[in-house]
Amino acid sequence: MIELQHVTKLYPASSRPALDDVSTEIDKGEFVFLIGSSGSGKSTLLRLLLKEDDPTRGTVVVNGKTLNTMSKWQVPKLRRTIGCVFQDFRLLRNRTVAQNVAFALEVINKPQRTIKRVVPEVLEMVGLEGKGNRLPGELSGGEQQRVAIARAFVNRPLVLLADEPTGNLDPETSEGIMLLLERINRTGTTVVMATHDYHIVDSMRRRVIELNGGALTRDQSRGVYGVGR
Amino acid sequence: MRVNFVLSEVATGLRRNLTMTVAMVLTTAISLGLMGTGLLIAGMISDMKEIYYDKVQVSVFLADDVTDQQRSAIEQELAGSPEVAGYIYESKDEAYARFQQQFSQQPELVQNTPADALPESFRVELVNPERYEVIAAAFPNGQDGVDQVRDEGDFLDRLFSLLNGARNATIAVAVVQALAALLLISNTIQLAAFNRRNETSIMRLVGASRWYTQLPFILEAALAGLIGALLAIGGLVVTKLLFVDKTLAGPIRAGIIPPVDWGAIAFISPVIAAAGVGLAGIAAYVTLRLYVRL
Ligand SMILES: Nc1ncnc2c1ncn2[C@@H]1O[C@H](COP(=O)(O)OP(=O)(O)OP(=O)(O)O)[C@@H](O)[C@H]1O
Ligand SMILES: [Mg+2]
Repeated sequence: MIELQHVTKLYPASSRPALDDVSTEIDKGEFVFLIGSSGSGKSTLLRLLLKEDDPTRGTVVVNGKTLNTMSKWQVPKLRRTIGCVFQDFRLLRNRTVAQNVAFALEVINKPQRTIKRVVPEVLEMVGLEGKGNRLPGELSGGEQQRVAIARAFVNRPLVLLADEPTGNLDPETSEGIMLLLERINRTGTTVVMATHDYHIVDSMRRRVIELNGGALTRDQSRGVYGVGR
Repeated sequence: MRVNFVLSEVATGLRRNLTMTVAMVLTTAISLGLMGTGLLIAGMISDMKEIYYDKVQVSVFLADDVTDQQRSAIEQELAGSPEVAGYIYESKDEAYARFQQQFSQQPELVQNTPADALPESFRVELVNPERYEVIAAAFPNGQDGVDQVRDEGDFLDRLFSLLNGARNATIAVAVVQALAALLLISNTIQLAAFNRRNETSIMRLVGASRWYTQLPFILEAALAGLIGALLAIGGLVVTKLLFVDKTLAGPIRAGIIPPVDWGAIAFISPVIAAAGVGLAGIAAYVTLRLYVRL
């Protein structure tokens, strides 16, 4: 499903690699926490999986496609099979909640009929029934993150990448978001989530991949946040 | 909803940069208006060439004291000359009638001109218009009843070079204006793309193609180009109604200047519209390709 082979990423601006010879494999349906201190390369890794950037060395394979050799015009196709959620939600400010979610279906040319049917379903699933006509600015942070998750999940992606999705939310709201991600994971979607939230990691006991200064230092199934804890 | 989505993006974009949009529309309109004027002048020139060139190339004016004998001798010589494709005789009365018609807007001039002031003449069409000298040599000025031989082609050449100059100047200014318009469009699109870089990057993350995110910007420019073109066409219509049809009414009726008819404007309008939409759209597309990473 996801495969990294000796992936190194050097940013021109810095001498230290953001990712340093990382190799790992993530299977279909797995739930993986990506942890590590600030600057350890978590976001960089997720960006490579989305082909927002290319690795300096090494091979990245997502959903059976080798991203290194993929041409630019194929990138949209790749991204339509990947849902992504970010700490800052990244919603279209001037579009309603329903339009934001519908957008992910429009870019894959789903017919209007399907969109009209599916969008309310997904909004209900994330607990936002009746709020489809609001603008993102009229929602709380937790609600906005639910919209982002609805948008990421609405076209049933094979992989869902989440970069600190609970970073801006209080513990209770975070718990709700995590329940949602678990639910999505149970439908067979692979979830990779970068986080600093040790409560979540420790309570869920899923596979944990730890990065340290760009290098993969730990890969543990049913892991916890800190080894010594 | 998909079309709606793109269109509402376009509308928001145009409103957000209202001043830039207005500047973009106005420069485009001026440029296209001048281009249209240039095209109309070009059409007018070819109409005028048809009116004048084909008919008379050389006028043989007869002296006041020409005898009937001299006149028929001249006519015979013209009829027999291999250089002459055709000729018409214009009597003093006919010359005066034509003069009256041409200057009907200036009645004082007509009143102050005695009916016999205008000379009778032969209006000659040559096989080869360049061969004026041959005719001039055959009819020396001031001899055998000939007063003067005049090369109308020479006068027309000067008239047409003047008109061609006017056309070229108009088109040159139009091109400079078009350059300004293109730079302004490019600038506006860069600004718009920068203003909306967040939205665009979000769309790209969700898997929108480059085309999908660029289309609103291109349509935005094309729409501005279209509005500019419509203004330019409106300007031409107003110019025709207020200037050509009013101020130039006299010479047009006299057949000196061909009228600018609606057909000509109808003919160049789609050209102007296509130029406006096409150039603006292409400028936007090239800008997005070269300067903007969406
Ligand atoms: N666009 C960039 N240009 C240059 N250096 C970058 C860029 N993005 C990230 N880096 C560097 O790469 C390293 C890894 O950054 P990254 O954002 O992947 O860390 P992270 O693990 O996500 O950190 P955080 O937990 O704070 O989000 C850092 O040293 C950072 O300064
Ligand atoms: Mg990060």
